[in-house]
Amino acid sequence: MLGLIARKEFREFVRDGRMIWAGGLMVVLLITSVLLGWQQQAAVQAERVASQELDYDAWLNQGPRHPHNAADQGMHVFKPSPPLSIIDPGIDPFVGSTIWLQAHRQGETKFRPAQDATGLKRFGNLSPAWIVQVLAPLLIIILGFSAFATEREQGTLRQLLSMGVAGRQLMWGKALALVLALGVLIVPGALLALGALAGGASGDVLLRFALLCLGYALYLGAVIFIVLGVSAMCRHSRTALFVLLALWIGAVLIAPRTIADVATRTFPSPSRVGFDEALSADLDGASEKEWMRNFNVSSAWDPKLPLSQWGKALQVDDHSGYGVLDDHFGRLWDTFERQQKLQEAAGVVAPVVALRAFSMAVSGTDFSHHRHFSNQAEKQRRLLQEVVSHDLIEHADPLGDRHFSYKAGPELWAKVPRFTYDPPGVGFALRKHWLSLAVLIAIFLASLLFARTAVTRRLSA
Amino acid sequence: MLEAVNVTKEFGPNRALNGVSLRVEAGEIYCLLGANGAGKTTLINLFLNFHQPTSGSVWINGRDVASAPIDTKRDVAYIPEQVMLYGMLTGLENLDYFAALATGQRQPKDHLVALLAEAGLPADAVDRRVSNYSKGMRQKVGIAIALAKNARALLLDEPTSGLDPSAANEFSQLLVRAQERGVAILTTTHDLFHAKQTGTRVGIMKRGNLMSELDSADVSHNDLEALYLQHMRD
Repeated sequence: MLGLIARKEFREFVRDGRMIWAGGLMVVLLITSVLLGWQQQAAVQAERVASQELDYDAWLNQGPRHPHNAADQGMHVFKPSPPLSIIDPGIDPFVGSTIWLQAHRQGETKFRPAQDATGLKRFGNLSPAWIVQVLAPLLIIILGFSAFATEREQGTLRQLLSMGVAGRQLMWGKALALVLALGVLIVPGALLALGALAGGASGDVLLRFALLCLGYALYLGAVIFIVLGVSAMCRHSRTALFVLLALWIGAVLIAPRTIADVATRTFPSPSRVGFDEALSADLDGASEKEWMRNFNVSSAWDPKLPLSQWGKALQVDDHSGYGVLDDHFGRLWDTFERQQKLQEAAGVVAPVVALRAFSMAVSGTDFSHHRHFSNQAEKQRRLLQEVVSHDLIEHADPLGDRHFSYKAGPELWAKVPRFTYDPPGVGFALRKHWLSLAVLIAIFLASLLFARTAVTRRLSA
Repeated sequence: MLEAVNVTKEFGPNRALNGVSLRVEAGEIYCLLGANGAGKTTLINLFLNFHQPTSGSVWINGRDVASAPIDTKRDVAYIPEQVMLYGMLTGLENLDYFAALATGQRQPKDHLVALLAEAGLPADAVDRRVSNYSKGMRQKVGIAIALAKNARALLLDEPTSGLDPSAANEFSQLLVRAQERGVAILTTTHDLFHAKQTGTRVGIMKRGNLMSELDSADVSHNDLEALYLQHMRD
């Protein structure tokens, strides 16, 4: 029975042109965006691997020099592009991919693709995730707004009900037709993405892909039931279309921005200048305190400190800053995560917000993954500092006034290992974003209940 | 087979049916006559559970419609005044769909084509989209759907409205054949001649009341017309 209803609905979608025109456009966009994302991800990844190698080679071959100069020049680390960024590039284009690891100061990512993007380029960054998050619901509305309302208007609903067909059977049949239509339109793009991932994809990536499919299925399923419920409730198809388009504009276009604003007002983050000033002040304060405690001088970098303790002083200064950096960056990033959590919870109002968070998390392109990379990069920076300071204490401090004449060579540079980033597994993403998945499941169940109730109550002729 | 027991139906302050009782046995054609607003269609809608009675009950094949709304529909076929079909589908596809929904299984194409022919749909219209059909052609597809369902009872709401005299006559023949197979038929009509010719019993309704019931064999056409006009005047 369900198959019969679905088949007839699907046939109508095709014959009245909605599937061909609206759906066809989405297929073209989806496949194009997957291909572009694939090409871009491969190019960016190759570029980053090559840059990482070049940068480390430059570090190893920098020749004899004072180790602190080497530490000041530092090295760069490049964030690998997650395989699923083909589907959802997340925040990566906006937060950058490269961190300069240098002495004294924790680095932040730079080289943000969005920074250099023209308006046209931004359109070129149309991702498969954005298409399914924003355009697929619109397509479901176009295909499904008339599901019950038009049948009621045209009188076919009476005909159907007189056949002994239960309203719920009709609902499931129509839902199945919408699932089939979406399947025909989305599955080719998904398979293409899977094909792009399949070359060397780890089990973790495939598991992430499966979870991504689950998240989008819950979201689109919820949209299907909301559309069917509204169609069952409205007496006229025109009203159903108007209500659904208003819901789409509100929930998909307006609510995410509003929710983001509410989140930043609820958990305000400092301005760039404010953050830098506060960090510098605390770093200076901690540094002064440690200099006075360790060397009994009146201020940091006091010229009275003999050069025979300069290496030790650098180490003390570095150590004094670790806690401050952890505290400031930790608070800043915690604020971002609190904003994110609030947005995820607000996904109850606008499911696309919950989906967006889940999609980025599972794709490895959300802020939590970015923070994980930044922490790994900072560990590498501190390791570099430790190697350099230890060498200065061991070899330069004993030279006394000739401290700065000391030059280290390749043996020291080689003590700083190559930076390799091991991204966290899917469990990390789920631990961080279980709320968005829970919200998606709740919304799916609530939409199903809404559609069932609407159909049961309103499906009398 | 079809039974209404002291049925009253109110829509807000308006009483559409007022304690109506009637019974249609298997192999009987019961024609309900009455002016617009007499309550004929409301009564049909109660049998289909499109509305629920305010009081009283309606029964199909011994089952209360209110208690078993889905199951009781399996025993009846319904042809409204205007059969509504899916314009994007052909006549055959519409029949295929509705017949499969009604019987729970798809029927062979040859059988469906034969049903459309029996209902009087021209062969060259079978594979044309219904959006190009006349009202009469849609009605014939509706008849074919009812035939495909092979129901034990037929509920017909002014089924010959829109049919040309020849098609209306063919439809009457179909009803008689169904009656001979033991199908219980309840039909509403404005057509006294049709009621007298086809019906085994005739009921006259006025403002929600069943004013009188008579065996059509017991009255002449003129007597029926006189009785009907008398009720309408009172």
